[in-house]
Parts: sequence; structure tokens; C-alpha cells
Amino acid sequence: MLFGRKKKNPIKIADKGVVDWKYTTCGYCSTGCSIEVGLDAGGQAVASRGVGGADVNRGKLCLKGIFEHELFTSSNRGSVPLMREKRYDPFREVSWDQALDKVGSEIQRIQGSYGRDAFAVVSTGQIMTEEFYTLGKLARGVIGTNNYDGNTTLCMSSAVSGYKRSFGSDGPPGCYDDFEHTECLLAIGSNLPEQHPVIFWRLREVLEKRKFPIIVVDPRVTMFAQMADMHLPITPGTDLVLLNSLAHVILDEGLEDHGYIEANTNGYEDFAKLVAQYDPTTASKICGIDEDTIRNVARTYARAGAAMTIWTMGINQSTHGSDGVVGINNLNLITGNIGKPGGSSLSITGQSNAMGTREWSSCSGLPGYRALESEADREDIASFWGIDPEFFPKKRGLFQTDIFPAIETGQIKGLWIIATNPMTSMTNTARIRKTLENLEFLVVQDAYQDVETNEYSHVYLPAGLWAEKEGCFTNTERRVNLTRNVVPPYGDSKPDLWIFSEMAKRFEQGRKMRFPETAEGVFEELRQLSKGRMLDYSGMSYDKIEQQRGIQWPCTEGAQTGTPRLYVDGKFQHADGKAKLIPLPFVDNNERPDEEYPFWLNSGRVVEHFHTRTRTGKIGNLNKFSPTPYMEMNPDAARALGVVHGSYARLTSRRGDAVVMVQLTQRVPPNMVFIPFHFHECVNRLTLGLLDPHSRQPAFKHCAVKIEPVADQQAASVRNKAARTY
Amino acid sequence: MFRVRDDEPGYAFIPEVQAPEKNRYGKPIELVDADDALAGKSLNINGDVGIGANPNRYKQHGFYFNADHCISCHACESACSEKNNLSPHLAFRSVGYVEGGTYPDYHRLNISMACNHCDDPVCLKGCPTRAYTKFAEYGAVLQDPDICFGCGYCTWVCPYNAPQLDPVAGQVEKCNMCVDRLEVGLKPACASACLAGALDFGIIETAPNNRDQLEHTIPGFPDPNISQPNIRFQQTKSLPREMTRADTVPLRYERDEQGQGAFKTRVRESGRSREWNLKKLRSREDPLVVFTLISQGVIGAFLALFLGPLFGLQVLAPASHPVAYPTLLFALLGLETFALALSTMHLGKPHRFYRAFNNLRYSPVSREVAGIAIFYNLLGAYTVLTAFPGLFGWLPAELLTGLQAFFGWGAVVAGPLALYFMYAIYRIPARPFWNHWQVLSAFFGNMLTLGSLTVGVSYALVLASQGESYASLMWALAWPVTFGLLLEAVGLYFHARDMARQGGEGEASHFEQRTTFGKTYAARNLGLLAGLPAVIGLAGLGVDGWTGFTAWAIVATLIVATAAVGRALFYALVIPTTMPGAFFWRNRGFQEHARETGLAHMPQVGVVPDGH
Repeated sequence: MLFGRKKKNPIKIADKGVVDWKYTTCGYCSTGCSIEVGLDAGGQAVASRGVGGADVNRGKLCLKGIFEHELFTSSNRGSVPLMREKRYDPFREVSWDQALDKVGSEIQRIQGSYGRDAFAVVSTGQIMTEEFYTLGKLARGVIGTNNYDGNTTLCMSSAVSGYKRSFGSDGPPGCYDDFEHTECLLAIGSNLPEQHPVIFWRLREVLEKRKFPIIVVDPRVTMFAQMADMHLPITPGTDLVLLNSLAHVILDEGLEDHGYIEANTNGYEDFAKLVAQYDPTTASKICGIDEDTIRNVARTYARAGAAMTIWTMGINQSTHGSDGVVGINNLNLITGNIGKPGGSSLSITGQSNAMGTREWSSCSGLPGYRALESEADREDIASFWGIDPEFFPKKRGLFQTDIFPAIETGQIKGLWIIATNPMTSMTNTARIRKTLENLEFLVVQDAYQDVETNEYSHVYLPAGLWAEKEGCFTNTERRVNLTRNVVPPYGDSKPDLWIFSEMAKRFEQGRKMRFPETAEGVFEELRQLSKGRMLDYSGMSYDKIEQQRGIQWPCTEGAQTGTPRLYVDGKFQHADGKAKLIPLPFVDNNERPDEEYPFWLNSGRVVEHFHTRTRTGKIGNLNKFSPTPYMEMNPDAARALGVVHGSYARLTSRRGDAVVMVQLTQRVPPNMVFIPFHFHECVNRLTLGLLDPHSRQPAFKHCAVKIEPVADQQAASVRNKAARTY
Repeated sequence: MFRVRDDEPGYAFIPEVQAPEKNRYGKPIELVDADDALAGKSLNINGDVGIGANPNRYKQHGFYFNADHCISCHACESACSEKNNLSPHLAFRSVGYVEGGTYPDYHRLNISMACNHCDDPVCLKGCPTRAYTKFAEYGAVLQDPDICFGCGYCTWVCPYNAPQLDPVAGQVEKCNMCVDRLEVGLKPACASACLAGALDFGIIETAPNNRDQLEHTIPGFPDPNISQPNIRFQQTKSLPREMTRADTVPLRYERDEQGQGAFKTRVRESGRSREWNLKKLRSREDPLVVFTLISQGVIGAFLALFLGPLFGLQVLAPASHPVAYPTLLFALLGLETFALALSTMHLGKPHRFYRAFNNLRYSPVSREVAGIAIFYNLLGAYTVLTAFPGLFGWLPAELLTGLQAFFGWGAVVAGPLALYFMYAIYRIPARPFWNHWQVLSAFFGNMLTLGSLTVGVSYALVLASQGESYASLMWALAWPVTFGLLLEAVGLYFHARDMARQGGEGEASHFEQRTTFGKTYAARNLGLLAGLPAVIGLAGLGVDGWTGFTAWAIVATLIVATAAVGRALFYALVIPTTMPGAFFWRNRGFQEHARETGLAHMPQVGVVPDGH
């Protein structure tokens, strides 16, 4: 049965000639995978592989990580600073000094004319912790604007807000190891296989050894939903009703953990009174999950020895995102599922360093989970930085989602955008365009000069990306992990850290302050500032982090390693050391489908893309899996409208329209369509994005659209292609 | 040797398990004994003369796919592409899916597929250059791009779309089983990268830990009997009675009415209307449309010329028209030269054309090329001897006549034999639309029709210009023309009937024929049917002179055009038994769209713009 040549030719298998592997942490999502980047003899990055001994990913990577080394040479990277007078003038190349001088003088001009807060800074979840800290030092300590926030308002703000309201502080209490111990996993609005495939693999590995119920709440039949033991196809925007009703059943049937509630929580009476209104019969009419299922889930969850809830944007991107997080925390507090192995409220975070910005960027306060509202915290930081504490505002300023309206109405005249792309990521693109036009001065700092927001900038600063720099990310389970410098920044682009430090020199106050030159030097400041605090870094060093493949904070000075879980002792960060049970009345303020706009519009991520595609859109081996936007639509609904599989259709909302390719599938209900959010000039032309009252996070996933077939398919394809320059 | 890392995780190693002696097809899993001549040799990977220490080096290995778990995360495909340094438009492994049910009772079944390193590798047998070898080591079927000349025949015969024809490099490449990793006991990159507990690898007929089934098929998978693939499956979860595809191939998979039994491949009758779609008739195989038709016509024409006098058509004897006869022979030779050049240029690496004869033992392509080459040379020799007898005056006259007869009769035998092998090329189980005797009737039908018409019209022109009658010649030649047309028509009738009956990809092709190309198909059939009475009519009426010639020329044009459209349809319509694609990736419909709209000009779209 063997065939072929007797005299066999030698076999050729691609050999990339890797001579050295360098240690990094993935720069896409917040799973926090350790990656080794392979360099060939010429020093080119040619390969990526998961680090075998890293606890997070244990040698695995998702497809984005597998091709991450290709980022260094991907197309349309920015190599030199660009400048222009008006946004419609052509850019001209300038030196770094010219560009930084210009930005410095414009900031001072605007602040001089309109007040300090008239210049805003909007950053990201993508740069290193050391850079976040330095940017915070610059924005809070030098520039002194209170309108400084990050794009984490679009993804994790609700989780932060919810954690703070329940536990008194941000910080996910659990870890991936909880899968090993849990007896019931509830996933609400989280599509692990698509969004966090490596975390899903960790879960799968546990399920290979031990079976426990997986309950997935999602209006769409994702692969996760399909794999779950129970799938609850909830009515969009009603998670809170389900959560209240689960609590109702638990309290009603006496399944709660009395001891835990008594010892560790406040507010039980008011909470119990509120959830008493959410009996399953009433709740089922609102959330679309039948009452028997609600009772069954509640009993299963409460009776499990340990139960955990994970969630992602399905909860966070909602008008009651913060309440949803608190609702999850409530559920876990009344069942005693916080701070124990397998019991957790674990928000699965989106960006590689969303946690780092939450901890250290000073966006929402001051570094190291300090608050502007606290005098002691202001004094702490002011003395550490060597500035007057009165320079700090006494209350947090605007969130990202309020900064843009303030530009719209003229209170803010200048904006610095760092590694984020509101032109694609914010709701209601038309409004964002109008808003950006209003700016007297916009500086865009990004690794890619074709980032769409650059269309409105006056100065473009080319930044290095990922392992062109050095520094730390904190992942979903509070693991601080290191990225070593692998290659120098592309062209004449610079590390963000360098840009911030250089910018500080353009200000009198900045020249007086100390800005360490290396990331490791900055890290030393983090260690000092975190000592004795909840997020204690003082026991970490770069070498120790690399050696342990990441360390979970807190890691106190002298400690061997980090800490897998928070609140193990039942002590929370509220002043009285207790967690709060908070009553959460449900108000339905979403734009719901009606006669004119009969479909829910849902959005979400696909595994091959990251955020606004500025990176993944250029990596062919990723982009090819969805090179143009598409809409999942139910075939029964499509038939009634004459919409055909594979054709282009037009969606209209009260904000605008979008043209997408139609993929008919029963994965979505007849009254809903799903569009990946990654594409420019697409889903966010339609979205409303009502803001959560606590977190100011937009409800990306809830608005109403109508759909029509496109008669001129040719024109639609031209329009579609025109929007896909990468 | 491939370097195993110190911290290589346990899952990446092929587990040591007890395997049965024979596989389900009764073949030994241990491919050679330790003392066999093939054993103990280095694989010579990238010049490394070492011999791997894998204790199961000579056992047949294969992939294991647990369809219950696959989440379509693309990690396997990506790990493969990263390791093999593949451009976006290529992939040795691809994930597609089928789906079914009604919301929220919706099921999507993802399928990750690469090469199955078959027991009966049809790629290896089909390859004319012998670029393929089934190794004693791991039973890996490896292809050597340095031998390949890019004809793409392996991509036709493989039921799993495993060999990848790279239109940019002009060669085929495929999954190499990561034999470099196997040598050191590691699973292939794809299986090691799986994030869902879906794709695994090991000795064939053994299931990984925690897996129950060792099925040899799942819905959407082609008939394993075609090549006895070395892949095993698990699929235990209940599936809807009907599963559909996201790509544009009009197929669905259906169980019996009780939702039991195996999934059968059926046509997905969407409400498509009948179209012309003449543009879509163009394909990479355009040169083959021309090559096959010309070859058939030339062979037919030679048969008519050479055999005509034997049937009493003295007008066709060389002596009757000492100028026209050799001129026509040279024209035929020129035509065939052109056709051969076209088919050679159609190769990815035309300069390696001589490798076409490497696999006469197994490959119908080698045999066809050999047959055509022999015919071509015999025709050439006959032509030269006939056209320039003066040149060979030094030969004894009898020897000259004998040689003429030898070459002539040789060509008479070689031509149709070459056409038989040409037909054998298309008897591919993985391409049901082709796998029918109609291909033979069409090829021989075209040989008779086109050949006789060529001779007839050529002589009519000569005779008309000399003021002589050609009516009797046309009357005689009308018989083979008519017979050829009838042969083709009858074949097509049965082909359509059988395709509609057999279901699956063949019926799907026929469905496309009636819809996407519905009007074109109707026009071809009409052309074929109109040709018959036209030929019989003109021959029966005995038309003559320039008027008659014009009529014949019009009819001949109609018949040639009909044949060309028919042949183009033949290539454009075939739907291989490959695995389902996804909505964008491996979706022929999207690829066409990307080419039409220019999206394909962006390399990151992963579709190569059309070169033809």
C-alpha cells in the first residue's frame, strides 16, 4: 500500500530560521497569554508561539496571537510625525520636536484661552501599564485637565463601576483556576469561544476531567450557547430582570447563604424587598425566559458547592450595565460565592491592558486605585510626584462618552487621542464626525497612520506598538505580565512612554518633575505607590514576572508569588469592610423594535478580528475569515423582506444607514440581526448608545433598525469596497 | 531534528496507545517491518540526515476530529499557516461548517479538514509527475512542489480539497503531516493548537482519551470509499434532520423522515431563476476547453481524411488533391500544435512539461499526454511523408508507402486511444458531474462531428473554388457528423437523467446547469438539436456551389459554437465533493464576488485576483 518514488527526494518543510525567542504578553485581548516571538538571524520577527510553561495559556494561542509577529511589518504603520493647519489640508512630515512643540503650545493655548479642562485626553486599553501611569502623571500632574479618560468606557466601565459599588473597589475577585473548582458556571453575555478562545480552552480542559453545568445567557445561539447544558435566549436588555428573579427564587426558597450574608454584607433588607417584586412569573414576561427555567437555574446555582458567573459585553454594554454587574455580584454574595475557589464574579475583560489603565492611568482618579475625591490620596500622589495637591481636581471629570458631547457643545476645544479609534468604535458615527470637526486642535497618537480618526487630526504622532516597546499588562485575573522589547519601533515611530515624557518637557511643571526614562524605572514607581495597597506590586520585578510567566496582584514585598483570589477573608474595600447588597429596580429605556424599525440590532466580536481592525484588518491570515462586514439575519425574516443570502442589504436606524452583506442563519431570532462591530462605516452608523447612568458606558447592543434589500447590488458592492481600505 | 522545548506541554505529545493490527479496510497499520528496506531511513527533512526516535514511526497515523467540540476558532488552520509560512490565499487546513434547526434550537457543525493521508491516495495515482509519495514513515502522503508542474489534477481528484494549487507560485502544495514534529513525538501543529478538544492526532484506529467514537464519516464528508482516508470522527450530539451550507454550493444534507440514518447529500433548491451568466463560463480551465475540442476535432479530421478513401471517398485520396490534402494535414498539425501549446501554458510551470509522462503506470493524465504526443508525432511523420515524397526519393518506394501506412494507421489507432485516456481523466469519483460515460460519448461524438465537418468544409471550399461539386462528399461525411451529434445528444440526455437521479454534487451541478446557466444550457441543447436537421437537410438537399458552402459554413459555425459552450459548461459546472466552506473562506461564491468587485486586489482578503 505504499506508493511513489523508491528513491525519495529530501523533504522540504518551511524553516523560518528562528535563532532567538523573546518573551512577551499578547497585546490583543485581556486573556493575557504569554507569547514567545521568534527572531531570525537578521533580527526580523518571523514566528510566534505560546509559552509552554505559562499558566494562562499553557502553550496555546488563538489565531490572533499566532500571527502577532506580523504586526511589526503590517501595512500603513506610521513612521514619521505628520502635521497640518486644517484638517482638510494635506499632511506634511515634520520632526518629532516640531510635532511635540506644536502639541505642547496648542494645549497651552487652548487651556489659556478656555480653561484647563478645555483640553481633553482620551486614551486606550492597549498601551503598557508604565505608559498609562506616565500618561496619568502628564495629564493629571502636568497638563492638569480633568477631562481625561480611556476607551475602557466603551468596554469595561460597567464592570469597574459594578465592582466599586458592590465591593468598594475595582478588581476582579476570581481567576481562571476557578474553573477547576466550580460546580456551576453561569455565563451572561459572554461568548468565550469567539472572544476569549484560550479562556474557553481552559474551561474545556476542566470539562474533560469533570462535568458541571454550564448555563449560557445570550440572545444569540453562539457556539458557547450551543455547547451549554442550558441556553437562555434572553430578550435583549433584560438581564437585570433575570438576575433579580434568580435572587428572588433563591431568597424565596431559602437557598441563600445566611452566614455569609450576615457576616460580610450590608443592605440585605432593602435588597430582599426589591427582589420580592421579581417573581419568575412576572420576570418571565419581561426577559423572555420561562419561569420554570428561571427557578431551575436559580436552584442549580444556589445549590452548587461553588458557583461562578462570567460576563463580558452582553452585560457591560447596556443602559443598566453597571446594575447588571451589581446584580451578578448580588447573586454571588447571597450564595456566598465570592473569594472562594470556584465561586466568583469574574468579568472577562476585553483589551490587553484594560486592567492596567483601571489600576494606574489616573483616568478615573489617581494611580493605584486612588480617588480624586479622597484628600489623603491626592496628598499621597502630589507629594510622590512633587506637585501641589491643590493642582488636582477634587472630583473626577468627564467620561469618554461625555467628553465627545462636551466637544459637540464647545466646552472642550482640543483633544489628544491615544491608541483608540472613536471614528469606528463610538456609537452614531455621523455624530462623532460632526463632533471631531468642531475641534480647534486634534492630535492622534497611534501605531497606524490610516486609523480612521486621523482624518480629523492636526497632528499625528506615530507610536510603536506592542513588543516594539517594553512594559506590563494586567490581565482579566489580575495577572501582571511582561512584554520584553523584541524589535525597535517601526521607522521613526516612538514608544508611547517616550512621547509622554517628551511632552512633559514642553510644560514648565513637567520639566520640574521626574519622568523615568525606562519602563522598568517607571515600574519601580508603581511598586512604591502600590505597597500595602490592595493592588500591591511591591513583591514583583521584571525578571520575577518573566520567570513566573506573570504574577497576580497583590504580591507583597518578599512574597514568593501573587494571589489568585481577592476577598478570601470576606473583607471588602468599603469603609466598613463589608460588601453591599444593592437593590436594582429595572427601568426599560432601550430603543426597542417597533413598527417602523422592527429589528433589534445586536453587535459583537468575531474571533479573527480585534476592535476596529486597525491591526487585524491588515493580517491576511486573519482578515480573510471576514474581510467585509456582514449581518447575521434569520432566514424566515429575510424571506418576508426579499433579502437574499450573500447579497447586500441596507439597514436604517434613527441615526443613519449601513450596507452589509447578508448571512442568513437561524443563529439569530426572527426579530434580531447581528453585525460584528469591527468594521468602519458600518454598525456604528446605526447604533444609539444610550449611556449607563453609573458607568457612562454606551448600550452598543440595543437599538432598533429596519432592513431592506438593495436593488442596485453593484452600487452596494462599490460602497462596501470603498469602506474597506484595510 | 525539530527542537522540543523544555516546557513543551503534555498535550502536544502523541500518546503511546495500543493500536489494532489492521485498519477497518483490512490493511496493516504497521506499514513496514523494522527490517524492511524502507525502514530505518532518514526523512532528510531540510537536509537533516537524522532518523526520528518516534517508536511508532512505521505505523499509519491520522487525524481525529471530534465534531461535538469544534468551535471554529481557526486556531488549527492558523497554526498550520504560521508553521508552513503560507500566504493568506493558501491553506493546507480549513474549517467550514453546516448548520440547521430553527432558533433557538440551532446547531452548527464545524468541520476542520486537511489532508487525510489516504490508504489509497488518489492524488498520488493521478499525479502525472509523480510528485507524490506515500511514506512508510507515519503513512504520510507527501507532495514535492519541486517535482510538481502545476497541472492541478491532484486538486481535481482529491475528495477533500487537500492539495492546494497556488496560482501565484504555479505549483501545488499540501499538508505535510508536520512529519518534522512527528519525528520527535509531537503532534502536528494544528492538533497541538486546537482550543476546543476537537482536533487530535495519533495512530489510526485509536481514539484519544475521553473520546468514544471512531466513525469514518460525518455529515458533509465525502464517501470514504473513494480513497480510504486516515481520519476518524466523533459526532454524538443530536443534529437536526436537515443541515445546510453557508457557502453558495447548492447542497444540503438530509436524514430520513424520522431524522435517522446517515445524512444524504441533496440539492438545495433555492428559488434561483434561469440565467445566461456567460461571463461565468470563463474559468481557469479555458485552455482545456480549446485543447480538448481541437484535439478531438483534429483526430476526427485525420480519421476522416485517412479512412475516407477506404470508404470509397476517392476525392479524399492524397492523389486527388495533391495540394489541398497536405495543406489540410499541415493545418491540422498546426491546430494541434496550438492546442498543445495552450495546454502546456495552462500549467503552473510550463517549462517542466516533460514531466507529464512520469506516471504512465497510474495517471490517466500521463497516458493522455503520451497518447496525444504519439498521435501528434505520427500525424507529423505521416504529413511530412505525404507532403514531400520527393524528399524521400532515396527510399525504396514500397518502404515509403509502407511507412506512410504505418504512420497513418498508427495515428488512426493512437488518436482515439488518446481520447479514451482523455476521457479517463474525468472519471473522478470526487467530481460526480464528470464521472459519467457521457464524457466518452461527448469526446468521441465531438471527434466525429468536428473532424468530419472540418474535412467536409475544407474540401467544399476547395471544390467550390474549382467549380466542382462536393454534394456527394458532404452526403458521405454527414453520416459521421450526424452520428457524432446523436452520440453527444444521447449522452447528454442520460447524463442529465442520471445526475438528477443520483443526488449529491452531481445533481447540484445539474441544478446549477438549469438555473445559473439555465439559458446557456437551453441554448446549447437547442444548438445541438438544430444541428441535426440542419446537417441532414443540407446533405439531403445536396446543396452545392458558393451558396451551399455558405450554408454549410453557417451550420458548422453553429455546431462548433455549441460544442465550445458545451465544453465550457462542462468545466464551469463541476462541483467537487469537497467539505463545506464557510461564509467567506472557501466560499466559491464570495471568491467570485471578491474578484468581480476588486476586493481580491487587497491581498489581505485572501482571494487571488483572476489571471485569465
